[in-house]
Amino acid sequence: MVKTALEELAFLIPLLPALAFVITFFFGRKMPSGGAVVPILAIAASFVISLMITLRLLVNPNEVISQSYPWFAVLNIGVLIDPLAAVMLSMVSFVSLLIHIYAVSYMSGDPGEARYFAETSLFTAAMLSLALSDNILQLFVSWELVGFCSYLLIGFWFERPSAAAAAKKAFLTTRIGDVMFLTGIIVLTSDLLKLAGGFQEGTYLLRFDEIFSYIPQLSALHSNIFGFEVSHLTIITLLFFGGAVGKSGQFPLHVWLPDAMEGPTTVSALIHAATMVTAGVYLVARTFPMFIAAPDSLMVVAYLGGFTALFAGTMGIVMNDLKRVLAYSTISQLGYMMLGLGLGSAIGLEAVGISLFHLINHAFFKALLFLCAGSVIHAVGTQDMRELGGVRKVMPVTAATMAIAALALAGFGIPGTSIGTSGFFSKDAIIEAAYLFGENSNNWIPYVFSIAAALLTSIYIFRLIFMTFTGKPRSDYHGHESPAIMTIPLAILAIFSLLFGGLTKTGFMDFLEETFANSFVNLDIGSLAALGRNELVGAAGNESLFVQWLPMIVAIAGLAVAFVIYYLRIIKLGPLASMKNPVYRLLYKRYYQHEIYTEFFSLGIIYGIIALLSQVLDVIIDSIVEGIGILTVGVSEELRRVQTGVVQTYAIVVIAGVSLLIILVKLIMEVL
Amino acid sequence: MIPLIFYLGLAALLFSIGLYGVMTHKNGIRMIMCIELMLNSANLNLVAFSSYTNTLNGQVFAVFSIALAAAEAAVGFAILMAIYRMHDKINLNELKILRW
Repeated sequence: MVKTALEELAFLIPLLPALAFVITFFFGRKMPSGGAVVPILAIAASFVISLMITLRLLVNPNEVISQSYPWFAVLNIGVLIDPLAAVMLSMVSFVSLLIHIYAVSYMSGDPGEARYFAETSLFTAAMLSLALSDNILQLFVSWELVGFCSYLLIGFWFERPSAAAAAKKAFLTTRIGDVMFLTGIIVLTSDLLKLAGGFQEGTYLLRFDEIFSYIPQLSALHSNIFGFEVSHLTIITLLFFGGAVGKSGQFPLHVWLPDAMEGPTTVSALIHAATMVTAGVYLVARTFPMFIAAPDSLMVVAYLGGFTALFAGTMGIVMNDLKRVLAYSTISQLGYMMLGLGLGSAIGLEAVGISLFHLINHAFFKALLFLCAGSVIHAVGTQDMRELGGVRKVMPVTAATMAIAALALAGFGIPGTSIGTSGFFSKDAIIEAAYLFGENSNNWIPYVFSIAAALLTSIYIFRLIFMTFTGKPRSDYHGHESPAIMTIPLAILAIFSLLFGGLTKTGFMDFLEETFANSFVNLDIGSLAALGRNELVGAAGNESLFVQWLPMIVAIAGLAVAFVIYYLRIIKLGPLASMKNPVYRLLYKRYYQHEIYTEFFSLGIIYGIIALLSQVLDVIIDSIVEGIGILTVGVSEELRRVQTGVVQTYAIVVIAGVSLLIILVKLIMEVL
Repeated sequence: MIPLIFYLGLAALLFSIGLYGVMTHKNGIRMIMCIELMLNSANLNLVAFSSYTNTLNGQVFAVFSIALAAAEAAVGFAILMAIYRMHDKINLNELKILRW
């Protein structure tokens, strides 16, 4: 009874926010606060349903909700809620709900209030639909919708040229990834059609369980690319990962993320915590059985993730904009998640567990960080940390919650116990898995990346805290604590940032590992890994004290560095932190990536091709348009001669017409 | 009783004569007269069918049609008079004022 009711309700999870979008879009302007109450209620309902499904799955992980309906004859549209999707749905709806409540106050008075709530509501709906897709095509459709909504929201204040440019940049950069993802889907579909011998009635080829059942055959298919024999599975997974790199802001497609700060801060919180960027990680996790049978792809994921974690950290330590520091921290933390997934070649399904664990924890503390930053910006009116300082005195609640979020981001906790912030457990799990991977394959690069990134994380986040909240005000600002409607979501998120990790630690990962091992998909990960010649080394957790303590030591060292430089101000950075120092300049200029991309895309061959293409297109399009014009003039020029002005001609035409009509009627009658 | 086909044949004949007249004559007044002929052939048909089916509808239609034809003729001749006064001719082939 309860079971069927829940399965019926599963469809409502994305539908309710989508409906809220329609309502706020058309009627929001006439409602108080831009109709904010509609999406809040809708998302709250989605959250309740998601939570109920999650709880049911917790009791029995085999009670997966799976419903497929035909869509375009041989494709399907459907709902698949397994532990992975359930956790994602609950997190997305919960964080989005808090952000929506917070935004009622944050956005109040903005002329585009109704538009804001309509767009964020659609954004949430798209993300929820992405999470519960049971086939790769529906996932892609939602994926594109998420991208489109982020475009709208980043460019929310479109009258600002910088916001419009940032929206365009985000859209175009992620588009590179999207094209790769789509290519991957096309390759996968054509391969599956070949293997299955065409579309069969009643089976939906692109459904995840169908795809997974073809993994052994897919990995046996090989193509010759530049003289290398590459398995099709590797090609497909790499293309999928390309999509994830774009959406999740991994190197080299991360450039859009810091610029995405142009939207309202609540949008940044939504993009960075719950929706957009987590989509990439979710995609890799969702298709993880394919990745684990393709070791080369997993290696790419691990290396690129680890590198991004470190690379973004180096830029995070020099930024002066409050939100920009947080943006680089997002890129870096997503790097950790990717790294965690990439380690799957050593730890198997546990990779999904630790990566998603970090994703969820990160969602809480990153949403908190952004909302706190929003609170500061809202009250003080600047986001340049050089002009802030001493905000703690005027905004105690914000300062306290942000400090908690910072501790969670830096991963503070006591190894070997259950005491610690949520970020501590998940990040340490990833770092320890990297160590295990190093021990197993004698490849220590991912481990080094992860440790170095942890140090940088600690430095930049405490630099932010000390520069913003402590010391004396460095400019003439007037602040005040935000109203309760903003501070209550902060407090809730702070509680989750503090406690969620410690409370759910092992249970959470075990739960997620059920995703691909339960009766629904029923995959033997060990044999899939064997396809990719991986040998799983088993679970992490029995490392030496040194391995357990090193991330913590590094985090404390980072805190100490930030404390000495930005709180005590004993060490003056002076020339070291000025544009005269080439290293600093390189970091501050973000490795000149923006310049390089702009130059690359605006000069030389590409520009030439585009110019030529536009010339050709101009000719073609112009001739089409002008041709239509000339044709119309010519035809009418001839047709006007029909009007002779002689009455008798008209009479002949009338009679001929009537005669023809009679003959026609006669013929039709006879046929009938 | 005279069979229906005779009436219809006569009407067809009248109609064809009228049509021939409209096509061949250049004089406006003659053309209007020919049109009258065609109208009357239709009236003949209506009355014939009316008596054939033993109803009155056709005759009523015929009366309406005759009344309309009278009105139309009055208007038509008035227009022709006006044209003649303006252009000093009544030959419709030479009058191309309806033209673009």
